Amino acid sequence: MILALVEGRSGSEVQFFRRYPKQATRQAPWRVQIRTTSNTMLALVALLVVSALYLAVNARLARAGRDVLSLQARRAELVRRSGELTGSLADLTTPKRMLERASSLGFHPAHAREIEYLVVDGYTPPPAFVAPRPIGGQLESRGGFSPAYTETLGEWLQRALAGIRGER
Amino acid sequence: MNEAPVERPGPARIFVLMLVMGVIGAGMMVQLIRVQFGPYAPVFDARSRAGLGLEERLIPERGLIYDRDGVLLASNGTMYFVEIELRQLTETSRREIASVLSKILVLPMEDLYSQLTYDWPAVGQYRIRLTRSDPGVGRLPIVLDPTVVDVLEEFLADPLAPDLSGLELVPTPRRHYPNGSLAGHVLGFVNQEGKGYFGVEGYYDEWLSGKAITVRRSFLPPDARREADPPAGVNLVLSIDVDMQQTAEIALEEAVRATESEAGQVIVMDPRTGEILAMAAIPELDPNRYEPWLERAEKDESAITPAVAAQYEPGSTFKILTMASALDAGVVQPNDIFIDTGQIEVGGHTIRNWDFSAWGAQTMIGCLRYSLNVCLAYVASDKLTASPFYSYLTEFGIGQLTGIDLAGEVAGQLRTPRHPEWTESDLGTNAFGQGVSVTPMQLLTAVAGVANGGAMVQPHVVREIVSAEGVYRPRATVLGEPVGPEAAQALTSMLVESLQGETRRAAVQGYILAGKTGTAQIPTDRGYDPKWTIASFVGWGPVPNPQFVVLVRLDKPQTSPWGSVVAAPVFQEIVERLVVLLEIPPEAPQQLAAGG
Repeated sequence: MILALVEGRSGSEVQFFRRYPKQATRQAPWRVQIRTTSNTMLALVALLVVSALYLAVNARLARAGRDVLSLQARRAELVRRSGELTGSLADLTTPKRMLERASSLGFHPAHAREIEYLVVDGYTPPPAFVAPRPIGGQLESRGGFSPAYTETLGEWLQRALAGIRGER
Repeated sequence: MNEAPVERPGPARIFVLMLVMGVIGAGMMVQLIRVQFGPYAPVFDARSRAGLGLEERLIPERGLIYDRDGVLLASNGTMYFVEIELRQLTETSRREIASVLSKILVLPMEDLYSQLTYDWPAVGQYRIRLTRSDPGVGRLPIVLDPTVVDVLEEFLADPLAPDLSGLELVPTPRRHYPNGSLAGHVLGFVNQEGKGYFGVEGYYDEWLSGKAITVRRSFLPPDARREADPPAGVNLVLSIDVDMQQTAEIALEEAVRATESEAGQVIVMDPRTGEILAMAAIPELDPNRYEPWLERAEKDESAITPAVAAQYEPGSTFKILTMASALDAGVVQPNDIFIDTGQIEVGGHTIRNWDFSAWGAQTMIGCLRYSLNVCLAYVASDKLTASPFYSYLTEFGIGQLTGIDLAGEVAGQLRTPRHPEWTESDLGTNAFGQGVSVTPMQLLTAVAGVANGGAMVQPHVVREIVSAEGVYRPRATVLGEPVGPEAAQALTSMLVESLQGETRRAAVQGYILAGKTGTAQIPTDRGYDPKWTIASFVGWGPVPNPQFVVLVRLDKPQTSPWGSVVAAPVFQEIVERLVVLLEIPPEAPQQLAAGG
């Protein structure tokens, strides 16, 4: 095979072929092209898969973000409506209105002369009024999201690898 | 084999294609230049600086205010401003927005239309908030309630409805006071920007309003964080009892009307704890409609919270403090005799009685019963002398802030011998409440000290502060003990006798009460006003374990100038109801066995 290759060549060329015999087994160009194309396609497919994953995570993240905004708007609306209803209830039960209603039903404010006081052993007066705690007064973030919504791709890979290695 | 000739596009088609692309490109260039340098460039620039995210200001709910039994006094609602995005306006929408709003809100259409057609971009504005003219106040933003907003939102959503392009309804928190003017002077008010003024709203503004935070959400990349809630404002429980407040307001309103007084105040306090149970003032203040009060407050800062800011010369009610001081110092006893000749000279100034008469031999009880200026001037100048007298007044807190938790309190005025303008005659006049200025709250606090056996407790209107972290209940703070329990007890007995004798208009059947009338002259730039007085009464009960102290003040009553005539009956009317609300029996109640 080598002889065939060196046939008809100059001395320096013969020496080159003797020094580098691998050249004698060089693959055909179409094979190299196929291999290069395959590797490129493989890398491209891998890139597409990763991109698709990234896109999927981001799409879910975006959707979750919109849901959060929507829920927060809903919550604010409910708090607003609750406040309005509380105010309306208070409007309907003001002392002035209650006095008017009582008067219309034939009652009148009791005079000291009309009241008989009795001491009842064991009677305990009702406890003093304690106001409800204010709404939304907590600084710390309540609840939260799965790390899948906020972690980067690198963080996800680390988490996945840690899972495979059994670290968690 | 001949190949089919390739059909090449003709020059005309290439030209058309190039032209279309050129036009598109030129359009893009024009738009870029317009965005970059056009009239809206500042808007886009600001948007660009803010990034592609959404910046939001999270405002916490303002804390609620309750009375001591849980009746809601201040709540939160929503109001809407009417804003116009000028770049979205069309000639049709200008006319129709003005027309619709003028019909719904009963406002002049010309005024609205002129706001919509004004050249706002020339002054750098691209978004405006519509206003209305309010007589006496000026221009105020138009505010819509949710019912009107529902109608307008239906218009905005309906393509067949009037064209309201450019109209935006911007919600903002609104403070709501369900009881209207009830306890309005205690509460103060909150303006459209959410800032509290006067009263509790002013004093606890930072506590009530919480802390707004600004959050920024990014859309590129999308952000799904859940923002922390802004720290909420605290809820407050006042010591005010709405039933007592209503009793005080009704009685005061009737008295002001019947006596044709210019103004009036009533304060009810628990002397043991310093809790203010009721605080009424006429003219009444409805915090839901506070705007007219802003102008009034500019002229007279004391108008909104007169109980802590309206100074006056207290007149004879101040004799309580003079006599308490003399009794505590041991320089007089209740039955000591004073020969009243009808006048006395102190520091070169002649002091006379209210009726210019000589009352002859009188005990100290008689001096209080008949409210003799000459006797009290004698006690202060000859018996007590200046230094101890002013020392006692300072101990009583005269000329100092009480520290009550209401905004706008003033200290009153007391000239002591250290003051460069003090003269010896001040000693004589101060003894019966002239030449010294106090606020009603200041006098009430000092008198409550006597009622409470000498221990003077700091007044306060908030009995409970409820935050997300827990509940805080302020404790009663003793400001001092200006007089001992013996002197306080002796004075109470003297005033019980005095009230039963001279001021029967203040007495309540079945209850032992102590009290003192006051009829004070009103100082002006040219001496004392010859016509008008401030009539007052301060009393407490039931003796010997007082549960309330009541101060009544009527400014410039027209039917009678005397406190005993116009103010004492108001005290009586309030106390008759107060003993019921406080469940104070008139006599020893019958013992009832459990289960009996």
